[in-house]
Amino acid sequence: MSVLSQLNVIQVSGLTKRVSTLEGGLTILSDINFSVKSGESVAIVGASGSGKSTLLSLLAGLDVASEGDVHLDGEALSTLDEEARARVRAEKIGFVFQSFMLVQSLTALENVMLPAELAGASDARAQAIALLEKVGLSHRLEHYPSQLSGGEQQRVAIARAFIGSPKILFADEPSANLDSKNGQLIETLLFDLNKLNGTTLVLVTHDEQLAQQCQRIIHIEGGQLEKISEGRVTHVG
Amino acid sequence: MWVKLAFKLFSREFRRGELTIIFAAIALAVLTVFSLSSITERIGLNIAQKSSDFIAADRRLSSNHAFEPSLLTQAQGFGLKTATMLYFDSMLFANDELVLGAVKATTEDYPLRGKIAIKDSLSSQSYEVDSGPKAGEAWLSEGLFYTLNVNIGDNVELGAGVFKVSKVLVKEPDAPFFSLSGNKRVLISYADIAKTQAVQQGSRVFHRLLFAGNEQQLNDYYTWLKPQLKSNQTWQGIKDKQSPLGNNLDRAERFLLLAGLFGIMLAAVAMAVSAKRYCERQYDPVAMMKTLGGSRQIIRNIFLLHLTLVTVFSIVAGLLIGFILQTIGADYLATFMGTDLPQAGIRPWLLSSFIGLICAMMFSLKPLLDLFDIPPLRVLRRHLGDTLAISRLHLALSFMTIFVLMWLFSGELMTTLILFVSTLVVIVILFVVSRLLFAAGRRLGLRPGTSWSLAIATLQKRANANAIQLISFALAIKLMLFLVVLKNDIISDWQMQVPPGAPNMFIINIAEQDVAPIEQFFNDNNIPHEAFYPVFNGRVDAVNGEAFARRVSKQEGEKRDENARAGVNREPNLTWLTTLPEGNKITQGQWFSDGVMTSDIIEVSVFDGWQKALDLKLGDTITLLVNEQPINAKVTSFRKVDWGSLKPNFVMILSPNMAGKVPVTYFSAAQLQDKDTKDISQLLQRYPTISMIDIKSRIEQAQAIIAQVSLAIGFVLSIVLVSGALVLISQVQASLAERMQEVVILRTLGAKGRLIKLATLYEFILLGAIAGLVAAIVSDVALLVIQQQLFNIDGRLHFYIWLLGPLSGAVFVASIGYFMVARTMRQNTQHLLRKLA
Repeated sequence: MSVLSQLNVIQVSGLTKRVSTLEGGLTILSDINFSVKSGESVAIVGASGSGKSTLLSLLAGLDVASEGDVHLDGEALSTLDEEARARVRAEKIGFVFQSFMLVQSLTALENVMLPAELAGASDARAQAIALLEKVGLSHRLEHYPSQLSGGEQQRVAIARAFIGSPKILFADEPSANLDSKNGQLIETLLFDLNKLNGTTLVLVTHDEQLAQQCQRIIHIEGGQLEKISEGRVTHVG
Repeated sequence: MWVKLAFKLFSREFRRGELTIIFAAIALAVLTVFSLSSITERIGLNIAQKSSDFIAADRRLSSNHAFEPSLLTQAQGFGLKTATMLYFDSMLFANDELVLGAVKATTEDYPLRGKIAIKDSLSSQSYEVDSGPKAGEAWLSEGLFYTLNVNIGDNVELGAGVFKVSKVLVKEPDAPFFSLSGNKRVLISYADIAKTQAVQQGSRVFHRLLFAGNEQQLNDYYTWLKPQLKSNQTWQGIKDKQSPLGNNLDRAERFLLLAGLFGIMLAAVAMAVSAKRYCERQYDPVAMMKTLGGSRQIIRNIFLLHLTLVTVFSIVAGLLIGFILQTIGADYLATFMGTDLPQAGIRPWLLSSFIGLICAMMFSLKPLLDLFDIPPLRVLRRHLGDTLAISRLHLALSFMTIFVLMWLFSGELMTTLILFVSTLVVIVILFVVSRLLFAAGRRLGLRPGTSWSLAIATLQKRANANAIQLISFALAIKLMLFLVVLKNDIISDWQMQVPPGAPNMFIINIAEQDVAPIEQFFNDNNIPHEAFYPVFNGRVDAVNGEAFARRVSKQEGEKRDENARAGVNREPNLTWLTTLPEGNKITQGQWFSDGVMTSDIIEVSVFDGWQKALDLKLGDTITLLVNEQPINAKVTSFRKVDWGSLKPNFVMILSPNMAGKVPVTYFSAAQLQDKDTKDISQLLQRYPTISMIDIKSRIEQAQAIIAQVSLAIGFVLSIVLVSGALVLISQVQASLAERMQEVVILRTLGAKGRLIKLATLYEFILLGAIAGLVAAIVSDVALLVIQQQLFNIDGRLHFYIWLLGPLSGAVFVASIGYFMVARTMRQNTQHLLRKLA
C-alpha cells in the first residue's frame, strides 16, 4: 500500500445539518466525524430517513453543512461557493444515482461525454466510447435513454461516472431500481471499475449485502453515526 | 466547448418537439403583427390618399370671402403646391333653355390630388386628366347637355360670358357623393371668373385654397397660418367621415387591430405557458449538469444560446411567412379595390421583430432565472425547485409584457387598457368561478370506479392547475368566439348596406306631373325601383328666431370643420315623408303622428349630427328659406342616419302636411341592368329634365371591397384560431407529464385502458364545456359593448354562441387533450415507467 493511498481523501469533522420546518428546526445530521482513505470503498447504510442521503449530498458538495466541514481531497467545502464546489465536482467526483439521471435528449454516448464536455476536455468522445465498451454497451452508443432498459441506463450512468477519471465516486442506491440480476451486474461493474481506476467509492445503500462488499461500513441512525464496521473485503486491491 | 454542447442540446430539443410550441408562438406573434400592421398600414396609406383625393388636396382652406394673396405666397414659400377654387351658382343659357348651374372655377393646378374624369362626347368612354379646362372653355356635367340641349363644340352663356363646351364632366375628385345638384355642374378656368360677371359684391360664393405637400410642410404652414385664421375661414384635413368606403375600411381596420391584439394575447399566453414548461423540463438536466461540475456560467450560456436561436429562427420564420401572407393579401385587396396599395414602410418589420424579441425575452426571463437557480441537490431530492414553478413575479412580468405588446402594436392606450383590464376582470371571475365549480363537484358523490368519478376526482385534485387551464381555455375560446361573431356581424352589416338588388341609379329632378308616367314606365319594363321622394332645397335661416349665420359663426375650430364637412351651412335637400325611411332610427322624440295631416304646424325630423352641430333641442322651431319663402317647422324628432348606406338620405324630413306648400321635384332610385340601357335613353329623351346619377360602379367597388376585406378578416381569424389552438395544446402538453404519471399508476394498478381514456375524455369535455360556456357569456357581453363603442353597429345578444361556446369548447379541448393523452396510452406501461424514472 503506497503512502499516497493512505492519505484521507475525505475528512468529515463535526458535520451537522439542520433544516427549518413549519414545526421549528430539525436536525437531520448531528456531529458526524469520519475519514475515507484514497482508494477505499465505503458504504453508508441506514434505514429510510436516517440521513444517509443528506450525508452523501454534503460529502459531494451538493449541499452545505450547518456546522462542521468536509475536506475533499484537501479542500474545505465550507469555504467554497457553489461555483467552486461545481469545479471540485468536475475535477474530482463521479456520480451514480438510483434514478440514473440521464439527459433524455442526449444519446448514451453523449450522456457519457457530458461531464468531460462541461470540463472542456478535448478527447471526450474517445474516452466515452472506451468506457461504454467497458460497460458492454458499445452497440448502444447512439441510443437514447428511453430506448434502453433500466440496467443499460445504469451502465451508461456508470460509464459517465468514470469519465475524466474522478478521484471519488459517489453512488446513491445504484441497484435499487433494478431487478436482482441487473442489480448484481451493476454492482460488479461498479466495483470492478473502481478497482481498475483506483477510485475512492462512497456508496449509499440500505442493502446489507451490497454494503458488505465495501471495505468499511458507516452506520447512520437518526442522524447520528452509530458505528463504523469492517466489510467482507478488507483490503484495497 | 460549451457552444458545441449547446448546439447539440438545441438540435435535439428542437427535434424532440420541446421547442416547437415556443417557436410557433413567437413566429405566430411576429407574423400576426407583421401581416396585420403592414396590411393596415398599406390600407391606411391608401385611405389617406383617397381622402386627399376626396378634397383634391391634402388640406383645404374654405371661406365665403376672398383670401389674402399672402396666404398663397406664404404656402408656396413653405414648399407647398397650391390651387385656388371658387364655387358659385350662375344661370346657363343655350338653345332658349335657361338653367341654374353649380359653377366651379379652378386654377390650372387643380386638382392637387386625384384626377378629373371627362368624356370627349356623351357616348364615348371616360378618361382621367390632371387639370381643368383652358380659358374660354366649359366642361358640363352630362345632365346639362340634356337640359340645355347642347353638344360638344356648342356655345353656352354663363352669366355674361360665352364659353365653348369642350368636354363632358364625369367626375371631379372633390364633388360631393350624394349631391342632387351634382348633375348641373360646370367647370371653368379661374381666369374666366371676371368674364362671367356672376361674382359681384354680396354674391353667394365659396372660396377654396388647396394645399398639397408633405406632413412637415403642411404642419409648418398651419403653425404659421393658425394665429391669423379668421372666424369665417376653416382649415380642413382629410378626415373622411361620410364616405362608405372610408367607413367600411375604418371598421375593417379596427377589426384587424382587435384581431391582431387578440392574436398577440393568445400567442403570448402560449409563449408564457410553453416557456415555463420548457424550462421546467430542463430542471433535471440542469441539476445533473451542475452535479457533474457544469458552472452556472456555462449553463447560463447554453440556455441563453437556446433562447437566442429559437428567437432568431422564429422571428425570421414569422417575418417570412408574414411577408408572403401580407403580399398575397394586399395584392388581392389592391386588385379588387382597383387601386394600388402603397408599400408599407419599415415600421411593420421593426415592430414585429421587436414584439417577437420582447415576447421571447420577457416570457422566458423568469422561467430561465428559475432554471439557473435549480440546485444540484435536485438529483437526490427529486422535487427540489418545483416550488419555484408558481411565481407571482412570472405572472406579473407576463401580464406586464402582454400589456406592453398590445400597446406597442395598437399605439392606442385606451383600447389596450379597455381590452386588458376587461381580460383581467374575466380572469379573476373565471378563477373564482372555477374554484367554486370544482368545490361543488366534490359534493356530487359519484360512485367510485367509474370514468365520470375519476374525471371529477382528477379535476378536483388539480383544482389550481385546472383553474389556470380553465382560464386559458376560456380566454382562447372567448377571443375566438368574439372574433367569429364580430366578423359575421360586420360582414352582414356591410352586406345589408349593399344588399343584392340594391338600386344602382338615382333618378332626380322628376317633375310632379312626370312621376306617374315614369313609374308606369318602370313597371312596364320590369325595372325594380324605390318610392318617389318629393325633394326641394331649403336653407336654414333661423333657429328659434335667431339668425342661423350668427349661430354658426359662433362656433370655432374643429367643430366648424366638422360642420363644414356635414354641410351645415349649405342648402340641404329636404323632403316630406309619412314613414321613417329604412336604415334611419329615431334617437329622440317621436316620428310624425297621423294627426299631423290635420295640423297647421309643420314638424321636422332632423339628422342627429345636425342636432349636435346646431345645439338643437326637441321643440325648437327652425325657419327654412325655400325659394326665399320662410317655412317654420317644429323639431319633433332626431334621427340616426347611416351615411354609409348607398341609399337616399335626408338631413331633414318634414311632416307630410308640407305637401303643396312649396314646388318640388321628385327623386327615385332604380336597379338597372345593361339590357335596360336602350329603354333608359328613350326615357331620357321623353323627359329631358330628369337626370340620372350612376352609382353602379360605387356599388360594385363597395361589394368587391366587402368581399375582399371579408376574406382578409377570415384570414386574420384563422391566424387567431391557430393561436388559440396553440394555447390549448401548450396547456394540455404542460399537464401531460403529470397525467402520464397518473396513467402509469392507474395502469399498473390494473385500470382498464378504456376507463382511463374515458376519464380523460370526460375531464377534457367538462373543462372545455365549462370554459366554453363562461367564454360565450363573457364574449357576448363584451361584444355588445365593443360593437356599439368601436364599430358603430347595433349591439345584440347572440344566443347561438351560448350553445356554440360550450359545444365547441368541449369538442375542441376534448379532441386535442384526448389525442395527446391517447398517444401516451398506446405505449406499454413498462415503457412509460422507464420514461418517468
